[in-house]
Amino acid sequence: MIFSKEKTTLAYTIEKCLKCEKLHKRDFSEGDILFAISSKCTFCDGITNIEKIFGEILER
Amino acid sequence: MFSMGDDTNPLMMLIWILPIILFVFYGQQIQLLVTSGEIKKGIKKLNGFRVNSKKELIDYVKKNIDSTVDPTQKIEQFLDYFTIMPVDMDPNGIVEKVRHTVRSREDYTRNHVKSLSPKLNEIELSRIQTLLEIASSLQMIHKIVNHMFLTAKKQKNYPLILPVQMILPFLMEHAKAMDAAIPAFKTGQPLGDGIGPMVVGKMMLDVEKEIISFQTVLAKIDYKGRKLFLLKAEGPASTVGRPDDALQKIVHDNKIDAVIMIDAALKMEGEDSASVARGFGAAIGGIGTEKFQIEHIATQNNIPIFSIVIKQSVKEAITLMTKEIADQADNVRSQVYEMILENTLEGQSVVIIGVGNTSGVPQ
Repeated sequence: MIFSKEKTTLAYTIEKCLKCEKLHKRDFSEGDILFAISSKCTFCDGITNIEKIFGEILER
Repeated sequence: MFSMGDDTNPLMMLIWILPIILFVFYGQQIQLLVTSGEIKKGIKKLNGFRVNSKKELIDYVKKNIDSTVDPTQKIEQFLDYFTIMPVDMDPNGIVEKVRHTVRSREDYTRNHVKSLSPKLNEIELSRIQTLLEIASSLQMIHKIVNHMFLTAKKQKNYPLILPVQMILPFLMEHAKAMDAAIPAFKTGQPLGDGIGPMVVGKMMLDVEKEIISFQTVLAKIDYKGRKLFLLKAEGPASTVGRPDDALQKIVHDNKIDAVIMIDAALKMEGEDSASVARGFGAAIGGIGTEKFQIEHIATQNNIPIFSIVIKQSVKEAITLMTKEIADQADNVRSQVYEMILENTLEGQSVVIIGVGNTSGVPQ
C-alpha cells in the first residue's frame, strides 16, 4: 500500500536484578532465554536474570 | 430524431441495453476475470512465502549442521512428504488412529532431520523440525489454492472459484503469520503461544524436575497444603511436549482432585489482545487427539478441568511474544494460585499444565 507504514518488530530482553529487583531493558541478543542468569546489575552488585523477552512493533 | 431530451432516443437505448445484454450472457466470465485478478495476487504472495520459508530453512540447516554434504535435496524431499489421514467412515477408534499417524510422522521427521547431522543437539533439532513444518505447510497451502484456482479457470466455472475467494483471506492470515514466525523460531525467542509454559516454567524454577513423557517435564511443589504437579513441555526447545501422556502417568500413580490448564486462545474480532479469561474444560489446541485423551482421563477419574486462557490473534500466537502478553504472566500466575485455593481443599492434589510451544522458555 502506498500510504501504509512499514512495520518492524524489535525484540527486547528485560533483566531483573535478584538483589535490588530493578528492571533493565536491552535489545534481545541471540542465545537469550527466559529465567537465565544474564549479567551484573547496573545499579548494585547483584546478578540479573531474564524476566521477559518480547517484541514491540515500530512503524516507519 | 436524435434530440437529447427524448426518452425514446435509440442511441441512448442502445447504450443502456448493450451492457445489460453483456452482463446477462457474460456476467459470470466478467466476475471470473475480476476475481481471478485478486486470487492471482494472493497466489503470488503465497508463492513468495513458500520460497522464502524454504530458503530460510535451507540457510538455517546449512549454518547449523556439521556436514559437508549439501542438504538441499534431502530438505526438498521432506517438504513434499504428505500425511494420509485414517478413514473415518467408521469413527470407532479414529482418535487412536489419528494419534498414531501424526506421531509416526513426527518421529519420521525427527529421525530424518537427525540424519542430516548426527551431532545436532535437541534444541537445534526441534527448531529445524518446526521450520520444516512451516515450510511444508506453506508449500501445501500454495499448492491447494493454486490447484483450485487453475481448475476453476480451466473449466471457466465461476461458482468453483467462489470458495477460493471466500477462504483466501483466512489462508493469507495464517500464511502471513507463519512467514512472520520464522525469525522467532530461528533465534529461539518465546512465542505468544508460550505464555502457558512461561507461567508454569517460573513456578518450576529451583525445584527438582523429571522427564515424565516425551519432551515433557514434571515438577512437584507444595502450596498452602495442596500438592501441585507442574507440567510443561521441555524448554527451551521448540516443542509442545506430550501433556496427555504425562497426565495419564500422574493420574495412574496419584489421586488428583483438579486439573488447571493455561493456554493461549484465539481472540475473537473486537476482543482485546492479551486479555485473560477463566473457564471450564480442557484448554488445548492441535489436531484434537491430546484434548480427547485429557478429557477421557478426566472423565474416567471424575476430575474437574479448569482453564485460564490468554487471548491473542493467530499471528501473535506463533510470532515473538508481544509486550502485552508477556506483561500478563504475573497476573496469570496469581490467578492460578487463586483458582487452586477456590477449587481445592488442603491435602488435595492439583495438576497444573502450561500448554503451548515452549521455544525460548526453560524451566
